[in-house]
Amino acid sequence: MTIQETYKTRAKELLSSGRVKMVVGYKAGSTPDRRRPHFIRTPEEADRLILDSACIANLSGYLITEGLLSDEKSVGIFLKPDGVRSLNILAAESQLNIEQIVVLGFDVNNNEITALKGEKAEDFSTLIESLKEHVPQTPGNPLLERIEAMNAKERFAFWEAEFSRCIKCYACRQACPMCYCRRCIVDCNQPQWVNTSSHTLGNFEWNIVRAFHLSGRCVGCGNCDRACPVNIPLRLINAKMAHEVLGAFDHFAGMSQTQEPVLASFKKDDSETFIL
Amino acid sequence: MAKIGVFICHCGENIGAKIDCNKLAATVGEHPGVAVSVEYKYFCSDPGQESVKKAIRDNNLTGVVVAACSPRMHEATFRKACAEAGLNPYMCEIANIREQCSWVHTDVDMATQKAADITRSMVEKVKRNNKLQPIEVPVTRRALVIGGGIAGIQAALDIANAGQEVVLVEREPSLGGHMAQLSETFPTLDCSQCIMTPRMVEAAQHPKIRLLTYAEIVHVDGYIGNFKVKVKMKARYVDMDSCTGCGDCITKCPQKKIESEFDCSIGMRTAIYTPFAQSVPNKPVIDKANCTYFKNGKCKICMRSCQINAINFDMQDEFIDLEVGAIVVATGFQVQNNAVYGEYGYGKYPDVITGLQFERLASASGPTSGKILRPSDGKEPETIVFIQCAGSRDPSKGVRYCSKICCMYTAKHAMLYAHKVHDGKSHVFYMDIRAAGKGYDEFTRRAIEEDEASYVRGRVSKVWQKMNKLMVRGVDTLLGKPVVIAADMVVLATAMVSQPDAKEFAKTIGIGYDEYGFFNEAHLKLRPVESSTAGIFLAGACQSPKDIPDSVAQASASASKVLALFSKQKLEREPVVASNNESTCAGCWGCVLACPYNAIEKKDILDRSGKVIKRVASVNPGLCQGCGTCVTFCRSNSLDLAGFTEKQIFAEVMGL
Ligand SMILES: Cc1cc2nc3c(=O)[nH]c(=O)nc-3n(C[C@H](O)[C@H](O)[C@H](O)COP(=O)(O)OP(=O)(O)OC[C@H]3O[C@@H](n4cnc5c(N)ncnc54)[C@H](O)[C@@H]3O)c2cc1C
Ligand code: SF4
Ligand code: SF4
Ligand code: SF4
Ligand code: SF4
Repeated sequence: MTIQETYKTRAKELLSSGRVKMVVGYKAGSTPDRRRPHFIRTPEEADRLILDSACIANLSGYLITEGLLSDEKSVGIFLKPDGVRSLNILAAESQLNIEQIVVLGFDVNNNEITALKGEKAEDFSTLIESLKEHVPQTPGNPLLERIEAMNAKERFAFWEAEFSRCIKCYACRQACPMCYCRRCIVDCNQPQWVNTSSHTLGNFEWNIVRAFHLSGRCVGCGNCDRACPVNIPLRLINAKMAHEVLGAFDHFAGMSQTQEPVLASFKKDDSETFIL
Repeated sequence: MAKIGVFICHCGENIGAKIDCNKLAATVGEHPGVAVSVEYKYFCSDPGQESVKKAIRDNNLTGVVVAACSPRMHEATFRKACAEAGLNPYMCEIANIREQCSWVHTDVDMATQKAADITRSMVEKVKRNNKLQPIEVPVTRRALVIGGGIAGIQAALDIANAGQEVVLVEREPSLGGHMAQLSETFPTLDCSQCIMTPRMVEAAQHPKIRLLTYAEIVHVDGYIGNFKVKVKMKARYVDMDSCTGCGDCITKCPQKKIESEFDCSIGMRTAIYTPFAQSVPNKPVIDKANCTYFKNGKCKICMRSCQINAINFDMQDEFIDLEVGAIVVATGFQVQNNAVYGEYGYGKYPDVITGLQFERLASASGPTSGKILRPSDGKEPETIVFIQCAGSRDPSKGVRYCSKICCMYTAKHAMLYAHKVHDGKSHVFYMDIRAAGKGYDEFTRRAIEEDEASYVRGRVSKVWQKMNKLMVRGVDTLLGKPVVIAADMVVLATAMVSQPDAKEFAKTIGIGYDEYGFFNEAHLKLRPVESSTAGIFLAGACQSPKDIPDSVAQASASASKVLALFSKQKLEREPVVASNNESTCAGCWGCVLACPYNAIEKKDILDRSGKVIKRVASVNPGLCQGCGTCVTFCRSNSLDLAGFTEKQIFAEVMGL
C-alpha cells in the first residue's frame, strides 16, 4: 500500500470510530503541483485525500481556528516535523490543548515522502531532538550563504531592495501558524508604530517587527515565503533569527509542549546582570 | 485644548552656563499647546515652586513640564507643587536638560537646540498624560518574623508590644539562636543565658505572638501589605499540646552519643532531645536521622517511657498558610568552617577549637559546667593561644570583610579564661584591634592591662602537636621576629559568614543578597533596615556581621518600620502599573512568565452561563512594580503602562 493509501485508511478509521471529529489534510490544488487544505469530516470525504511530496504546507495554523477545539473533541492533522514543532509551540503558548490533537506524521525529503511513527506530539520528540542536534552549521541555502558573506552595509542594501517590493498584504502573517494574535501590532493605530503605507521605512518596520516576534518561534516551515506574492525570501530572516537564538540561548523552537518562550523566560541566577 | 506650562531652570550655573535659557524659553514658547514658557534661576527653591503654582492657577494650565535636572532629583518636588496648585500630579513631567544636556555639552548653541528638542518632546508627552490616582491596597496587620535569635525575638516583641499580631518562625526546635550559646557577653560580661532566657519566654508567652518552632518557610507570594506565606511544620513526633516537658523520654533514649549542635560537638545529646536545658518551647523533638526506631524499625523506648503518650511516630510534616502584611528577616549567621585552615590543625587536633566552642566550654550550662577543659584529656589548659581573623580579612582562603565581633569576643575569652584559671596565660595573635563601640576599647584594654593577655601583632603560620602541647609558630611583626609558643589549647576567632542556605532562602522570599550571601538593604546609608522588596525588612546578622547591641537596635528599627506600615488602613502606591487590553490579548502567557514580580495572572472570561470563552492575562496592580517588561514582550501590544503609555512614548519620540 502506498503511504497515501495507508493514511487514507487511518483517517477513515479515526473518523468512523469517532476518535476525531475532523482530519485536516491535503487535497488537489489549482494546478497539478499544488495542494490545498482538506477538512475531512466524514470517512467518504477522506477519499479525496492526497499525500505526496507536494504536501509541504504547514497545516498546524488551522487548528487554532476560532471555536474549532472548544467542544473538547479531537482533531487529526497531517504534519511534517516542522508542523509538529509549531504544534508544540502553540501548546506551549496556550493556544490549544495538545491532548485533542492526533498527529498523522510524515516527512518529505528530496521529493521522497516517508511516514513517521507516532500519533501524539510527544511521540516525535526524539526526532525533534535529533533535528536540533543536526542543525547545519553552514546555511546550506545558496542565497543565505550569499547574504552571510555580505558586510552589514551590503546586507542592509539587499534587504532594502527586497522589502521595497513588499505591498503590505500581510499574506505572510496570515499563513504563519505563529501569527495567531487577534490584533496584530500593524493593526494597532493608537499609536501607529508601524506605518501602513508601502514605503521602505514602513516595510522595514513591518518585516523587522515580524522577525522579532518570531525569534525563537519560527520553525522554518516556509509558509510565509510561499505566501508572499512578491517572493521576498522571508524565511531567511527568520532562519537567521533562529540561528542566533540557538547559539545564544540553546533554544530550538518547538521542542516540547512545555518549552518556555525564549524571550519571556529567565533564570533568577542568570549571571547576565542586564536582565533585571 | 492643551495649555502646557514650561518652566526652565538654570540650576544656577549647572544649566545656565551651557544653555541659553532665555532663548530656550522663547523657542519652546512657540511650540503648539505651550501657554507659558519661563525661565528662573532655581525652580526647586520656595519662590521657584510658588511661581509654578501661581502660573498653574493664573493660566488654568493642563500640564507642566519642568526643564531641569534628572527626575530622580525633583520629580516628586514638582509633582507635589502641582498637586498643591490643584493639578493632578501625574500631569507634570521633567525634561532632563542637565545630566542629559548641559553637563555633557560645551557648545552653547547646539546644547540650547538639544535642550529645546528634549523639552518639546516632553511637552508632546504631557499632552497625552492621564490624570492618575494613587492605588490603594489594604494592609494585613500581622507581621511574620523569620528567625528566633535575639534579633528576631526583639523585633517580634517590639511589634507585639505595640499591639500588633506576630508570627515568629524558627527552624530549630528552640528559640535562641547564637546568643543562647554564648557564655558571657562583651562589653559588660553579663551572662548571656540570663538576659536571653527571659526574652525567649516572654516571646513564647506573649498573647500577640504565635510561635512556630521547628518550622521552615516554603513559599512567599504577594506584596507589601499582602503577603501569602506557606510554612512547613517539620514533624517533631512529639505532640506539642500534651507534652509537659518532663524529659523522661530523653533520659531513656538509648542513643546518647550524638554530637550536640548546640554544644558545637563538644557535648553529646540523645535522639529525642531539646537543644539545651532552657529551650523554649521546652518540648523535645525526635532527630529522625539518628533515632533507632527510624533506622532499624525497633525501639520506641521513649514512647513507652512517656506517661501521657505524647510521642507519635506517625506524625507527618504539616503545612500552614499565613497571611501577613510585613516580613522581618532575622535568620542570622553561621561561623565559618575552619577546616579550610589546614595549617591551624582544626579538626586534626582536638584542642584546636573555635570561639563558639570556647563559649560552650565557658558557659555554666555547657558540657563542662563552665570549666575551661581541654577536649582531648579534660585537663585545664595552662596556656591558650587565641588566633584572631581566622578567616576574616583573608581574601585567599576566608572572606574579605572584617567579622566585626572577633576582636571583642577574643578579648572576652582571654578575660573569662583569666577569671576562671587564675594562673593561665593567654596569647592573642591579631592583625589590628578593632574595638569601636560604646565601652569597647576600654574592654579590650582591660583584657590586656588587668587580665594580662599578651597581645602579639602578627599572623600564625602553623600549629603542630609536640608531645602534649600544641606548638604555635607565628611572627611578631612589631618586633620583627618569629615566635613559637607552646600552648595547651588554641582558639580560632572564626569568621562570621552567612547561613549556608542564605542565597536559596533569599530567592524563596524574593530579596537580594551580596556575594557573601548576606541580605542586601535598599540603601546602605539611608535605608539600612529595608530590603529592596517593599514590606520586607532585615534585622541582625543576616545582613552583615553584627554584635548583639547592633542586632537588637536593627531589630527595633525594623519593628518601627513594620509598625509605621501598620499604622495605616490602606497603602498608597504609585499608579505607574501595567494594564491589559483583554479584547486584544491572545492569551499566550508570555507576559506571565516574563514578569519578574509575578504580577500577572491568568484570567478566565466567562459567558453568562459560566462557560470559559477566552483566557487572558490580568495584571494585579498591587503587585506590579511598573517595570514595563511585559509591555515590551507582548506581541499583540495588549499591555500598556500607565504614565508611560505607548501613546505617550510615541509622541515623545515623534516630538524629537
Ligand atoms: C563566638 C561568638 C561570640 C560572641 N560573643 C558576643 C558577645 O559577647 N557580645 C555580643 O554582643 N555579641 C556576641 N556575638 C555575636 C552574637 O552572637 C550575634 O550578634 C547575635 O547572635 C546575632 O543575632 P541574630 O538573631 O541576628 O542571629 P542568630 O543568633 O544567628 O539567630 C538566627 C536564628 O534564625 C534561625 N534561622 C535561620 N535561618 C532560618 C530560616 N530559614 N527559617 C527560620 N529560622 C531560621 C536560626 O536557627 C537562629 O535561631 C558572638 C558571636 C560569636 C560567634
Ligand atoms: S515565519 Fe514563516 S517559516 Fe517561520 S513559522 Fe512562520 S510561516 Fe513558517
Ligand atoms: S506577504 Fe510579502 S508582500 Fe505581503 S506583507 Fe508579507 S512580506 Fe509584504
Ligand atoms: S503577552 Fe500579550 S497577548 Fe500574550 S498573554 Fe500577555 S497580554 Fe496577552
Ligand atoms: S510592568 Fe513589570 S511588574 Fe508590572 S506587570 Fe508588567 S512585567 Fe510585571
